[in-house]
Amino acid sequence: MAFHIPSLKAEDKPMVIASAFILVILSIGTVYTLSTQGSAPLLSPGYLLQQLQTGSFLGIVAAGMMVVILLGHIDLSVAWTMTAAAMMATTVGGEWAIPTGIAVGAAVGLVNGFGVAYLRVPSMIFTLGVDSVLRGLMVAHTGGFAPQDSATPLMRTLASDRFLGIPSAIFVWLAVSVVIAVMLKRTAFGREIYVTGNREVAAYLSGIRTRRVILGSFVVSGICAALAGVMLAGYSARAYQGMGNPFLLPAIAAVVIGGTRILGGQGRYIGTLIGVILIVLLNSVLSIMQMPEAGRQVIYGSVIISMLLVYGRGNKVHS
Amino acid sequence: MPTDSPIVQLSGVSKHFSGTRALEGVDFSCRSGTIHGILGENGAGKSTLIKILSGVLQPDAGTVEVAGKTVRFSNPEQAVASGIVCIFQELSLVPDLSVADNISIAAPPRTRFGLIDKRVQNRRAEELLARIKCEDVDPNSLVRELSLSRRQMVEIAKALGKDPKVLILDEATSALTSRDVETVYGLLAELRTAGVASLFISHRMHEIDKLCDMLSVFRNGQHIETFAKGAHSEGEIVKLMIGREVTAHYPPKPEPVPKPAYLTIDKLAWEGQLKGIDLSIGKGEIVGLGGLDGQGQKELLLGLFGVLRGLQGKVAILDHPCRPGSPAEAKSDAMRIALVPEDRKTEGLMLAMSIADNLLAASYDRVSDGPFINQDKARTAVSEGIAKLQIKVASPDDIVSTLSGGNQQKVVIAKWLMTDPDVILLNDPTRGIDVGTKQEIYKLIRELADRGKTILLYSSDYAELIGCCDRVAVMYDGEIVAKLSGDAITEEAIVAASLNVGTQSSLQAAGARHG
Repeated sequence: MAFHIPSLKAEDKPMVIASAFILVILSIGTVYTLSTQGSAPLLSPGYLLQQLQTGSFLGIVAAGMMVVILLGHIDLSVAWTMTAAAMMATTVGGEWAIPTGIAVGAAVGLVNGFGVAYLRVPSMIFTLGVDSVLRGLMVAHTGGFAPQDSATPLMRTLASDRFLGIPSAIFVWLAVSVVIAVMLKRTAFGREIYVTGNREVAAYLSGIRTRRVILGSFVVSGICAALAGVMLAGYSARAYQGMGNPFLLPAIAAVVIGGTRILGGQGRYIGTLIGVILIVLLNSVLSIMQMPEAGRQVIYGSVIISMLLVYGRGNKVHS
Repeated sequence: MPTDSPIVQLSGVSKHFSGTRALEGVDFSCRSGTIHGILGENGAGKSTLIKILSGVLQPDAGTVEVAGKTVRFSNPEQAVASGIVCIFQELSLVPDLSVADNISIAAPPRTRFGLIDKRVQNRRAEELLARIKCEDVDPNSLVRELSLSRRQMVEIAKALGKDPKVLILDEATSALTSRDVETVYGLLAELRTAGVASLFISHRMHEIDKLCDMLSVFRNGQHIETFAKGAHSEGEIVKLMIGREVTAHYPPKPEPVPKPAYLTIDKLAWEGQLKGIDLSIGKGEIVGLGGLDGQGQKELLLGLFGVLRGLQGKVAILDHPCRPGSPAEAKSDAMRIALVPEDRKTEGLMLAMSIADNLLAASYDRVSDGPFINQDKARTAVSEGIAKLQIKVASPDDIVSTLSGGNQQKVVIAKWLMTDPDVILLNDPTRGIDVGTKQEIYKLIRELADRGKTILLYSSDYAELIGCCDRVAVMYDGEIVAKLSGDAITEEAIVAASLNVGTQSSLQAAGARHG
C-alpha cells in the first residue's frame, strides 16, 4: 500500500507493546487458572469467542471514538448516545427500530459536530454537555423507570445469535471495522481527517473544508455509538438507564492504547482493534481471578496510565 | 550625564539558527544618557540583537558587558536584574488581569503574610501611569478593556516600573496614537537626562531622526556603522542599509509588454490593516509586493485567498467578481487561486505526515473517484509533483519533516501546482532556504508566468523583488505607496518607499549623488 500514514517505526511501537501485553495477560490468567482450577479456559476458542462477543460493543464504540480522536477532539457523549439510541429503538420497535436508533446517533453527532466545528466550543465541554442533555431527555422519556419495551428480534439476532458457530455481533464489529479502516485509508474524507488532525491551519489553507470534516467525524462517532447501543439492547433484551456508562472510559482507553495520538493526526485502525482486545481480556482475567471491584478499577486504571507513559517516551516525533 | 565608558558593550557576538546566521561578529556599544537608534532591513539582525541583550536568546560566541562587567543572561529576569528592560513589539500583557496586576506581575509588592498588597500595587501603578500621562487609565481595569494604544502605554509603564538603566523599545511606538507618541518622546528625553540609555528600534525614519542621538545600521547580521545623528543624510543611510552583496542569479526577464489585467483589485480594505488597495495583475505577469514586514502584505494575500472575514472592496478575475469565502472556494475551478503561505512549518505542511500526503492535501478531489482515492492517480500525481520541482526524496512515504527546508518549501509549492492554479499568491517563498533552491524557485516562478499564470509575490528580500518581478508594489501601513516597473525597480526606490520617506525621484537623485 503506497499511501499509508505510518511508515514511521515509532508509530508501530504501541501496537507491538499492546500485543505483547495481551500475551502477558493471557499467560498470567492461564497460570492462575491452571494452579487454582487445573484448567485453561482462557485458551479455549469458545471462551475467547464469548469474550469477543461482549467486546464487540466496545469495539464499535471505540471505532467511532478513534475517528474523533484522530482530529484531536473527543466525544464524551457516547455513553448516553448509546442509551438514547437503544431506548428510542425499543420504543419505536418493529422494523424501524434499528434505523431509528441509528438516526438518533447521527443526530447527536450532528449536534456535537456543529458545536465543535462551527460554534468552536471545545469538544470536551460540548460533548459532555450533550451527554447530560441526553441523560435528562431519557429520564424524562421513561419517567425515571426502567423502560418496559423489549428489543426487536432483529436486534437480538444481531447481538446474541450465532452464525457459522461464531457470534453474529463479531461479524457486525468486523463489518464496522472494515468500513472505518477503508474510510480512513482509502477515502478523501479519511485522509482529510488525518491532515486536519495534524494541523488544522495548514489543512484549512490547503483548501480542505475542515469544519465539514469535523462535523462528519462526530456523525461517524454518533452512528457507531448508536449501533453499539442498539446491539447492547438486543443482547440484554431491553434498553435500560445508564447502559452505556461502562463504555466511555474503555473506548477512549482502547483507542489510545492502540497508539492513536490523543492530540490527533496519527494512529492506525488495527491499533484500536488491538486496544479493544487488550481491554476485554484484561477485564475477563481480572474477573476470573475474582478480583474485587475496587481492586479491578485500580489495576485497570494503572494499566492504562502506565501504557500511555511507555508510549509517550518514544513517541515524540512532533516539534 | 553621559559617561565615557559604555553601559552596554557587545564584542564579537554571533548567533546562528540551524545554519542561517542571524548575527555575525557584532561589536556594538551604547552609552548612558543617550537615545540610540537601530536601523536595518528585515532580517538584518535587529531582533536577534535585542533578544540577546534582554536575555531571551544566548549568543553562540562573543561577550556581552554591562557597565564594564561581563554577563551571560540565561533568562530575561537576569537581564532585568542588571537593569536591561525591553518593551517588545508583541504585547506581553495578560489581557484578563488588571492594569496594576500586569505592571507588577514579575515582582508584586507583598504584605507581611506574603500575599499581594493590592493597595501598594495600585499606588505604584498610578505613579507609573502618571509619569507617562496616562492618569485616565484605572489601575483596576482589565487590560482587555483598553485600546491597543493604551495597552502599549501600560506596557511602557510596566517597563518603567523595573527601573531600567537600559531601555529597549522595539517598534514600541507603532501602535500608539500621536498624542501618546509625543508623551513617549517626552519620556525618553526625561530618561536621557536621568542617565538612562534607550535603544530605539523603529521603521519610521522621521521618528529616528527626531529622537536619536546616535544611530547604528545593521545589515545581514552585521553591524555596519555607528554614527552621530546628522553625520549621514537619509539617502546615505538607505545606502548603508542596502549595502552591496553577492546577488543570486535570476532568470532573464522578458521584454516588458503591457499585459491586459487578469486579476483586478479595487479599493480592498480590511479592519484598518488594508486601507484601499488598488492593483491589477496581468496574465503571465509577476507582480512583487514590497515593504517592511507587517505593512499589510500578508493580509492582502490572505484576503485574496478567502481567509479574512469582513473584507471591503472588489476583486475580479477578468470580469467575474472573485471574493472567495474560504480557501476551499478559492481553489475551486471557478477561481483557481493558490496560496503558498508564510510559515511552511505551521501553515504549509503537516510535518508529521508523509511527503505524499502533504502533496495530495490540496487535491484529493482530483485523484478521487467518488469518495474513494484512486491509488494509481494519486501515485502518478505525487511522482509528477516530485519530478516537476525536483524534490530530493528517498521515498514519497517518508515523513516530510525529514527533508531540508528548501525541499520542504518545494513540497508546499508542488502541492499547489498540482491543483493547476491560474493565480498564484506567494508569501515570502524563499525565506530561510538555501541559495541553490532559491534559484530553482525563481526559475520556476518565471516559467509559471511564461505559461500564463498570474503571480503575486511578497518577499522581504528586496533583491528578489528586483530580480524576479515585472512590477513591484510597495506597501506601507496598509496602503500601496509606490508602484514601480521596469528600470524604476531599484533598491533605493523600494527601500525609500518602504520607509515612506521622500518621493521616488528625490531619492533617486540622492542615490545618484552618493552612488
